[in-house]
Amino acid sequence: MSIRKIVTFTEDVLIEGGREVAPSARVAVVAAIVKNPWAGQGFVEDLSAGIDANASDIGALLAPRVLEALGAPAQAYGKAAIVGLNGEIEHGSGLIHTLAFGNHFRDAANATTLLPAVEKRGPAGVVFDIPLKHITDATIRSHHQSIEVRINDAPHADEIVIALAAASQGRPQQRLAAFATETK
Amino acid sequence: MSDQGCGIRKIVYYSEEFLLENGSAPAVPAVRATAAAVVANPWLGGKPSDDLSAEVVQFAPVLARKLTDVLIAGLGGVDAIQAFGKAAIVGTGGEIEHGAALIHTPFFGNLVREYFEGESIICFADDRGDAGSTLVVPLWHKNAAATRSHYQTITTRIGDAPLPGEIVVVLGASTGPRPHSRIGDRLTDPIVKADTLGELIS
Repeated sequence: MSIRKIVTFTEDVLIEGGREVAPSARVAVVAAIVKNPWAGQGFVEDLSAGIDANASDIGALLAPRVLEALGAPAQAYGKAAIVGLNGEIEHGSGLIHTLAFGNHFRDAANATTLLPAVEKRGPAGVVFDIPLKHITDATIRSHHQSIEVRINDAPHADEIVIALAAASQGRPQQRLAAFATETK
Repeated sequence: MSDQGCGIRKIVYYSEEFLLENGSAPAVPAVRATAAAVVANPWLGGKPSDDLSAEVVQFAPVLARKLTDVLIAGLGGVDAIQAFGKAAIVGTGGEIEHGAALIHTPFFGNLVREYFEGESIICFADDRGDAGSTLVVPLWHKNAAATRSHYQTITTRIGDAPLPGEIVVVLGASTGPRPHSRIGDRLTDPIVKADTLGELIS
């Protein structure tokens, strides 16, 4: 695993809709900018060796960091893989869509649901949104949210940005009906 | 004063830790960070001749305290912080002078120096822009501004700020020099003048 840079990002919302948010709502993101394990190899049919060599290590690195940055129990979470311009979307997907990656976060957060994800390709400085859902019940509508991230100099063409996001609570001023209640 | 009382809508922290630069680990590791507060512009709708000082005294010290607290916590203490810088992005409903008012007076700068235990003038960037504008925040050494190894920048951006009636106030800091800094210093520079360079620029 070759990591060039680690980015930590937190956003605290204190006012939304002109009203105080108490306690303030925090979303934390930690991203590792890693070398694409398949860079320069052309079309690699079997990605399993690169996944096995990297995905678990990256998950183990990011999970404790994002929970530390959150500074509170995670109530919602999500993940991201942003592939540099020389790579395949499948490369980023390979690193995050494996239990070897996600279980580090799931176990550390006492979570049970699937991690919602964004996978895209872009240049350094690309803006991406990480979707987050509740850690134990993905139908809890109050916790559907997303966080916008941008890293000025990443990903390089042969890099992948791998990120985890965690939220301390649901959306600020959330007040929608619970899932499926509108059809009763 | 509470954060809400100061009109702070959002506080954003961003840090970058360099593990590799050009393929190898920096001999002197460093983490760069920004802390940004999104505040309501207290001077909206005013005239260019308005006196800004009352709101400066009321708000700037609170922002200095809040942003230094965030960076000190994020970077591992005052002693870890070697370089600093500041910035303001004014929303499109405001004057450039409104951002300047919040960061270019002793009510902000002196307190940042005091909390960071620094003595240098604080380098800066001011701009006006829409939500999502990026701004490059310059940093230099908190006690010896001419220390060339510590000339560095960090880019700040908040996706939904500043709204037209807001100001984003940013404080930046670094725990060390640029990765692989190796371009000498004022003490090691040769004398460089146009006529000593000869044909290169003739």
